[in-house]
Amino acid sequence: MVALVIALALFFDFTNGFHDTANAMATPIATGAIKPKTAVTLAAILNLVGAFLSTEVAKTVSGGIINEGADGVQITPEIIFAGLMGAILWNMITWLKGLPSSSSHALFGGLIGAAIAGIGFNSINLASLAQKVILPAIFAPLIAGIVAYTCTRLAYALTSRHDPETGSKLTQKRGGFRTGQIFTSSLVALAHGTNDAQKTMGIITLVLISAGTQAPGTGPQFWVIAACALAIAIGTYSGGWRIIRTMGSGLTEVKPAQGFAAETSTASAILASSHLGFALSTTQVASGSVIGSGLGRRGTSVRWSMVGKIALGWLFTLPAAGIVGALTALLVKTGIVGVLIAAVAGIGAVLYMFLHSRKSEVGHHNAVEVEEAGQAVRFAKKKALAEARARARARVRDRARNRAGAAAAPAAENPAAPETPAAENPAGATPEINGTDGTAPFKETQR
Amino acid sequence: MKWLELLTVGGATLVSAVTVVVLYSLGVRLTAIAGDSEQASPGIKRALAYACFGLCGLAVLFGLYLIIPYFSA
Repeated sequence: MVALVIALALFFDFTNGFHDTANAMATPIATGAIKPKTAVTLAAILNLVGAFLSTEVAKTVSGGIINEGADGVQITPEIIFAGLMGAILWNMITWLKGLPSSSSHALFGGLIGAAIAGIGFNSINLASLAQKVILPAIFAPLIAGIVAYTCTRLAYALTSRHDPETGSKLTQKRGGFRTGQIFTSSLVALAHGTNDAQKTMGIITLVLISAGTQAPGTGPQFWVIAACALAIAIGTYSGGWRIIRTMGSGLTEVKPAQGFAAETSTASAILASSHLGFALSTTQVASGSVIGSGLGRRGTSVRWSMVGKIALGWLFTLPAAGIVGALTALLVKTGIVGVLIAAVAGIGAVLYMFLHSRKSEVGHHNAVEVEEAGQAVRFAKKKALAEARARARARVRDRARNRAGAAAAPAAENPAAPETPAAENPAGATPEINGTDGTAPFKETQR
Repeated sequence: MKWLELLTVGGATLVSAVTVVVLYSLGVRLTAIAGDSEQASPGIKRALAYACFGLCGLAVLFGLYLIIPYFSA
């Protein structure tokens, strides 16, 4: 059982990695700052480094949501097995749908479901659930969105240049933000490594302690750290291209200055939250940043239908993973046969989804359409072209601003407002209510 | 409910992200100014631009220094 749980935990780490590649690398891939293959390699290496960097492991896997400890219930390897099963299956489903959803919430959901089915409803700490999962799910995209919005506005305001006499646009060299994107997205990948690999380390350590092979209160052993770091790095390298497509081009069009602002906000929010004691989900922060930056750049539109889909996915994360976790826990309760059935069914489901994904393959070659990938550090060659483009763009932009100014201003006043009702109210999250979809009139405006 | 923590996280996020973005944007702007054909002193502007990029990098490194437990221990 212990070996099975460890294998499952490492597989969860793997899905976590490829699910979350998009958080760091979708925007630089979308703006052409880094070539897709290079991007995932970079993210994988940084995840590996990040996993080793910080061993500040969460003391309890469930973060207090399940009443652990002497006066509470004992988390057994069976519960963890069931919880992991729920988390992995939900991660696979959302990946298939190309939805960015929080891996940690999937894990929480699976564990909650397994604990309710395996032990009883009193094993759940509802106050803790609200504080650790539900409220952060509302505030993470809100904070990231507002910060990304502010940063995008600042970045564009600071780099906008006009000729004082004629009022015409001068060259702005906003392509320079691509170089910066390489660093900011690296920072996000590093932050992800320090954050998410820790969870799996915590799980495996807990299993080892409960199996009696490790003394209680000790940190993770070196082979656990190394295995988790490797699993998340391999997962990141294999790249969740479907989610990269959603984050990079599904929510809004991303331009270099905007991508830079979004990544900086994501990195700041994750690092600040994980070190100041209010844990926010990487995925939710990253999605919020992309939306916020899309609102901050004038002449662009956010595809609210996609935002609605993602919000709906977040709503379902906890219950869906919970149901799978609960069913698995019930199976496991029946004994060794049940464990085998659960394991085989789980493997079967994962295989089925993998095979299903082959039908419409999304890979590094077609995840996001970019005209000039990987040109960030080779500007000299493109100088003449860039100048010609800048002139053309300046003309287009002048016209676009007149057109878009009127439409963008009301939306700009309240950047994250449509987010909150969507997160609180299932009915409000339907795409239709949020209106504008990808066919907004000024979507094509070049900037 | 840990409202204070939430506020701290929001504030820290805003301050750090704005610092990095403002410094980098100034660098980009100065690079663009230095590239103008009628610019009298491109050398100084370019040096200033690199100074901005450098400061931005330092800000990021300082942030990393703060959060990596190895350094604070």
